[in-house]
Amino acid sequence: MTAALLRLIARHRRGAVLASALLAAFLGLTLQARQDVAAVTFAKRALLMTVAPFIKATAWVGGGARAVWRGYVDLRGVQADNRRLRAALHEMRQRLEGLHEMAQENRRLHALLELPDVDGGRPVAARVIGKDATNWFRTLLIDRGGGAGIERNAPVLAPQGVVGRVVEVVPIAARVQLVTDPVSSVSGLLQRTRVTGIVTGDRGPTLRLRYLPLMADVAVGDRVVTSGMGGVFPKGVPLGTVTGVERKSGALFQEAVLEPAVDLSKLEEVLVLAGPPAR
Amino acid sequence: MNAATFLLALLGVCVLQGAAGERLSVAGIQPDLFLILAVGAGLGAAPEAAAVMGFLAGCYQDTLSGGPLGLRAFTLTLMAFAAARLGREMEASRPAAQFAVLLGGAALAGAITLLTLSFFFGPPPLLHTLVRVLLPETLLTAALGTALMAAARAWRIARRVAP
Repeated sequence: MTAALLRLIARHRRGAVLASALLAAFLGLTLQARQDVAAVTFAKRALLMTVAPFIKATAWVGGGARAVWRGYVDLRGVQADNRRLRAALHEMRQRLEGLHEMAQENRRLHALLELPDVDGGRPVAARVIGKDATNWFRTLLIDRGGGAGIERNAPVLAPQGVVGRVVEVVPIAARVQLVTDPVSSVSGLLQRTRVTGIVTGDRGPTLRLRYLPLMADVAVGDRVVTSGMGGVFPKGVPLGTVTGVERKSGALFQEAVLEPAVDLSKLEEVLVLAGPPAR
Repeated sequence: MNAATFLLALLGVCVLQGAAGERLSVAGIQPDLFLILAVGAGLGAAPEAAAVMGFLAGCYQDTLSGGPLGLRAFTLTLMAFAAARLGREMEASRPAAQFAVLLGGAALAGAITLLTLSFFFGPPPLLHTLVRVLLPETLLTAALGTALMAAARAWRIARRVAP
């Protein structure tokens, strides 16, 4: 019986391999459709662990290569008769550039530490080392993970406001779901009128503040901050500014279009609130 | 493409798309290097090997994205298998024909992803997704894929001519 089955599979090898691969993918999707399953989460973490060190190393080498390139560009105009002086000048310039870069980084990190009302946990500064591998989702890869005490659902912030939350953690890296991700949702509060709604991603650079009562007072220019509900983000961290209001006829709620408080395309460092989430 | 070459290329694509995807992007949309790899590897492989390579490439793309594990694996398995069936005919055809096939393939891959996503997690806003994700990604991926195929062809010819 088994031998006959094996012979049948061998005869239809192409179809069997294709069907097995499709079935495995389909099974994985089915398991994740309602909730996270430990086996799938483990598989995803294991795969991430095999490539995260290479991505981290590439980000590090890339930074070094950029510095070397800058040095090469600076050196192109060097003349033979004043080589020594130019070399000295170049060295000073490089030092200055390094100091300038360090000062900028210092300013950014300093700003991270001066976030208002960050009482949600121990702040951990992390560098962005990768972006989402598809155009369908909006996530980031950062260079700190479980080894630095970062846990799933930890809030991720920038000096200007909310970046997103951690959705996947391996010891040396973590994946951050941005607020602009289509499946992200954060409880938001209109700072001026104290009306609450749900801020979701929009498959583009903007955000949407949904489920606002029709009678709610919303105007262009209103600032939206986190409401503190949901237990993930601390209260009062900026989410964005209203750039448009949509009231569709027959709809039960109105919606607002927001420009995110943080320019998510230019993030280099972020602050993760490790430890227990804010209550 | 043998297994070792494919695994090296997969690692390269993971690093390139993960760490430098933003630099390859046009107006915020990045080309789908995993799809190009799956189709490229599938072209010169047996269909069953192509299906496995597509599945692996898709699993890694899912790992490096916020999507569920299996979403792109499902799509890329089908695309690599289809590429293997097309085989050498496509490699030998003119760049315009290659572009057309890649355009159709990338659009089909996007449509399969969209349908899979809708089936398991509810339909995303269609017009938004078409205009902001699917169409630009399809064009960019097809253009880059055609250029890479032309480069690979030139490389093969140069190797043959070289003493």
